[in-house]
This record gives sequence, C-alpha cells and structure tokens, in this order.
Amino acid sequence: MSLDGFPPFISAQLHYLINHFPDKIKVEQVLSGGKTYTGGLDRFTLLIPYCLDYIKWDIIYNAEFPLAPPDIIFGPEDEDFYPLHMTGRVGEGDLKFRSILSDWNYKDPTRLLALIQELRDRYMAYQKKRVGEVDDDRLTFEISTICSREGIEMQISSGAEKPEEVKFAVPLMDMNINKMVHGCPWRHPQKIYLQVIYPVGKKYASTPSAPRLKLMSTTELRALFTIEDVKLPSWLDGMCMAEYLPHLEESLQKQVLEAVSLIDIRRHFIEALAPLFGRPLEADPVFCRKATFLASSGSFVFLVHFHISTLFPKQQPALMLQSSQHISPQGIPKKSSLLAEYPWSPRWEASQMAERIFDFLADESLNFKRFCNESQPQH
Amino acid sequence: MGDLVLQKIAISGPTLASMIQRLSSSPADLDGLLFGHVTCIAPSALSDDSVQSTSDSQLVATISSFLSFPSLLSFYDSLGRVDSSRLTLTNLNQKPLIGWFSFRRKTPLRPSMRESSVTRSLPSNPQLYLPVQNASSESLFAPSIFLLFTTPLQDQFIQTCQYRAFQFQSSNLCFNPLPIDIVNIGPAFRGHYGAFSPSSALPFLNCELKSSSSVNECRNEENLFGMERIAKDQSELDMCAEGMQIGRLNQLIGPEAVNYTAGLEDLYEKMLCKIESLATLVEASSAKVVEQENHNRKLRYKVARSAGLE
Repeated sequence: MSLDGFPPFISAQLHYLINHFPDKIKVEQVLSGGKTYTGGLDRFTLLIPYCLDYIKWDIIYNAEFPLAPPDIIFGPEDEDFYPLHMTGRVGEGDLKFRSILSDWNYKDPTRLLALIQELRDRYMAYQKKRVGEVDDDRLTFEISTICSREGIEMQISSGAEKPEEVKFAVPLMDMNINKMVHGCPWRHPQKIYLQVIYPVGKKYASTPSAPRLKLMSTTELRALFTIEDVKLPSWLDGMCMAEYLPHLEESLQKQVLEAVSLIDIRRHFIEALAPLFGRPLEADPVFCRKATFLASSGSFVFLVHFHISTLFPKQQPALMLQSSQHISPQGIPKKSSLLAEYPWSPRWEASQMAERIFDFLADESLNFKRFCNESQPQH
Repeated sequence: MGDLVLQKIAISGPTLASMIQRLSSSPADLDGLLFGHVTCIAPSALSDDSVQSTSDSQLVATISSFLSFPSLLSFYDSLGRVDSSRLTLTNLNQKPLIGWFSFRRKTPLRPSMRESSVTRSLPSNPQLYLPVQNASSESLFAPSIFLLFTTPLQDQFIQTCQYRAFQFQSSNLCFNPLPIDIVNIGPAFRGHYGAFSPSSALPFLNCELKSSSSVNECRNEENLFGMERIAKDQSELDMCAEGMQIGRLNQLIGPEAVNYTAGLEDLYEKMLCKIESLATLVEASSAKVVEQENHNRKLRYKVARSAGLE
C-alpha cells in the first residue's frame, strides 16, 4: 500500500503498525483535516480484525500539531466504549494504556501500534462485559464454561432491525500450523476458528434454538486446507460448546495433519511427471499445488499447467494447455479449458498416474492443435 | 448532585454564524469553550397561533458566546483530563461556562475518545456551576454541554458545516443528543423573549446625578464600596465625555437648544474619531496576530517534517 501524502511522522507510525500488527489490518478513507491540503493527510479509518470481522476506528491525527497523540472515534455501535474513563479499580493495563497517551512521542514509530493493541484489548474487555450483562441463562452458562479458553473473542450485535445476537470466535486446536509446513511463506500465524452465533433468548421461548455454526480460517490457509470441505458434526439439543468443541477439534486435527502429509504426495506426483515431460518450467515448491511443463506434439509446442487440489489424489489434477505458437487477436496466448475428465484412479502409483496423463495428453494435444488452428484468423 | 436534564440548546443566529466563520477560517482542527446561561422557560400559554404547547416547563441552555483556542490540548491534556487550574472564574473573566465545543474536518459526527473524556471531566470544578434562571427551586447547572462540528468527508462546492449538540449525563455516562434552536424572531421563540436578559460585557454605569447622592448619607460599608466603583466608572466616563456633564443635557430642552446642539455634535464627531482610531489599532494588532500564527504554523511544520528524517 502506498502511504504517500502523509507527513513523515504519521507515515512512519502507520507503516510500523501495518507491518507489525499480528493480523492483517486495512487502511481506508485517508483524508486531510486542513483547510487546504498543504499540511498533508492526517486522518484515516483503520479496519482492525476482531471476532472474525472488522471493527472500524477513525484515527485522527492533526498535521498542524504533531506533538499531540491521535484521537480515535469508535464505531457507532460502541457508543458507550470510553477507554479513557476511569471507573472502579485501576488495573496495570489501564496504567500502561494511559502512559502511551500521556508520554506520547511522535518521533517513535512504534507508538500507534502500541496504542491500537492496548485499545483492542480494552475493547475485548468491554465486549466481554457487555455479553456478560445479557440476561440469558444459556449464554451465562456458556460464558462461564469456555471463557478461560485462550484467544476467544466475543461481540454483541444489536440493531434496530435485527434481533440481538452474541457472536463468539473460538480459536480451535492449539497447534502451530505454520511450523508444520516446510519452508512456510506465511507472515501471520494461520488459524482455524469456529464462529458460534447465539440468538439472545426470549424469556418465553421454551427450548432455546441451536446456535449458528461456521468454520472459518485465515485466508492463506486455503493453499493447504479448504475449510469449506469440512463437515461439521451436528449440534444436538441441549448441547453446550464445552461438549461440542473437543470432538470437532479432534477430527479437525486429524484432517489438518492429513492435509500436511498430502503435500508430500503431491510433491511425489510432480516428481513422477518429470521423467515423461522433462523438468517442470515452474512448480510451487511449498504446497505443490501448481506445476507447469513444456510439451510438444510434432512441431506443435505447448505448455501444460497442472492444478492440483488439496483433495489430491482423491480428486484428479485439472489440466490446462496453453499454446506457445497461437495468439488471440487480443494478444493473449490460446488456452484450452480446464480438463478434469480423463481416466483416473486414486489407487494408482504416482508413476502410473503420470503415464496415464501423458497418454491422455498425446491424444488431447491433437484436439488442442486443431482448436488453435481453426480459430486462427485467415490471412 | 443529580443531573439537570436539558430539553434543548438555543443559540442566536449571529453567535452561530460567528462560530462557523471562526471554524471554517481555521487552518486546522479547533476547540474552545462555550458561555451562556441556563433558563427554565415556561411555554407560552397563548395559543392564537399553532405553537405546540407542552404543560411542563423546559430547561434550555442558551449559548451566548464562545472562546476558541489556537492549538489543541489547551485546557486539557492528552488523556482528556481538564486542567482545572486553567479554568477558574478569574481566568474565564467571570463568564458563565456551560460547556465546550470541538471542530474537526471530515470525521464522523460522534464524540471521540478524548472528547468524551474532556466532557466528562469538565464539570469537576463546582465553583463554575451556574444557577438556573427562573427556576422554582435553587438548582445549579454543571457545564456539561458538548457541541461538535465537522465537515462532509467529500469536498463540496458549497462550504458545509455539520453540527450536533450533546449533554453528557454523568449519572449513566452517556451523551444525550439535544436539539438546537437557532433563536429567531417569531411566535416559536416567544418564551425566549420573555426570559431575555441582556448579557453585555460593559460595566453597569450609574448615571444618577452626583448631587442627589448626598440626600441619603447613611449608607453601610458595602454600599460605600459600591460607591467607590461608581465614582471610578464615572471618572472613566468623564474622560470620554471631555467635560460634558449629564446635567448639561437639560439644556437640550428649550430655547437654548439651538446653540447647544453644535457642541454635542462636536462631541459625537470626536468620539467617532476615537472609535475609528481604535478600529485601525485593532486591525493592526490582529494583522500581527495572524502573522505570528502563520509563523507558529511554519515552525510546527518544520517539526513535523523533521520527525521523519531522524
């Protein structure tokens, strides 16, 4: 992201925040608060990940007064979130948070990050308190049993139109997936969460309805594991999260371990292609999801792209051919559609899979050559 | 002390206009204090026009003037704690404080973290509480009004200023949005005129003839002090009047008047000259202020630029 137009002291702090925040943070609506633009940009909206969603906070610096710390406007739903108000006991965290603001040093690029992290902690406590105040027996019970889980986040959402709901984001499995992948390229730790949404019970309803469940993962994890393919165990009447989670975690753990072991199977398959197709022009070395080979049929030279899904070898690789000699009027090389229907068995040896694909392509290349020549404009 | 809950805020058109003028000419964000009074207004019972009448009397805060500060963190610190040593009656020139305002361009129209903290700690000094005018019982109003100004996120061809008023309720820690009446002439404002009190900054001058004061000699000490002040005011006035005495106004009546008007006109002319020279003085000094402000801005700018280079 380009951070041009900010005075240097703001851009230094914003850069540091974006690069060092443990999760992906977004910046939107960058504006200038001056009468003219001479002072530079000094206010923006931060999208901070919270509870599998984003909270939007407006950060207001003042380009004219660099010595003052930025002010913050919280979301319209959190009107009574006053982190600066001192009520009751003053904890250590409060003092730390207050010292960030009172000893503000605009030359220190780490300050904004420290401020946002402390504020997010304060926000988490605020949401927890609000959820705790909801008058619903089941929720009170759930909170008392799973509150101690590390990293759990909760949020209450209420609007004029929609019914009140309490949302939980439960991080699953205490395993470091990043460490399990050899040569892991991920900057942020990859996690799987269960989102649990409880409708807040009406006092007169006899049986509380089941919560809405959804598995979610950090986006980069898709290279290894497709969360949508996981089937959630069903939620029985009268169940609680403390009962539900252990089974889910156990089965997920198995699936993640399997997904990691599948990397080697894919690697082995790509290696088996080499004796027939030659060395790959390009291959994904970490997750082994993609490989491209150069092939020829007589004088017709073309590329073969292999797209290998996370379900390989159960699901066969999808192939795509790309001509090196035919170019469309738009200047793009001619490509075939994705080929995913050809003889396949997951039980074959890798070398046999490679041979079968090689044989299939020997026939298919003729079709592709014809397709390329037919659509070629006549000179 | 329980909160006095306001029903609305009133501000006169010229006061609002001069505030907006001050805000829109400011190079950056701005904040300041609001002065005025709180009145209990009994709604007019006359109903020969279509004024909706409520039976209860209303508590209305009227903003009569403001004071803006050229820099942030002027009377509060970065945690939003009000420095009560800066907000004393003497510092405020005995003006009645009813709240404060903040102006920040291109931001949402909601109180920010620091603003809510400032608003909350503003009523910390009970000396600044105001007695409510026309109230049936003795009650004091804590300065709890917050007026927020901003501009739309996108630049517009027409200069637009958005504003919203709040009263902070210390009992449940929340901002209560309040409607703003811009006081104008018309039947809807009859209540305001009934409760109107002039709030001139000029001292009250006793124009009573000096000779008559000798009639009642027996006065207590308190009045003696009052008389000293009157004498001081009178001497100041005499200096402006240049020997023109109030007794001589008698001469304006009757046959001598014709000769006398020339002298009076002469006095007026001299006064006008004085006012004019005062105006040029003010103009020159405000030019100097602007110059100094620009200089300060340039210095701040240098500081801001230098930060990134280290």
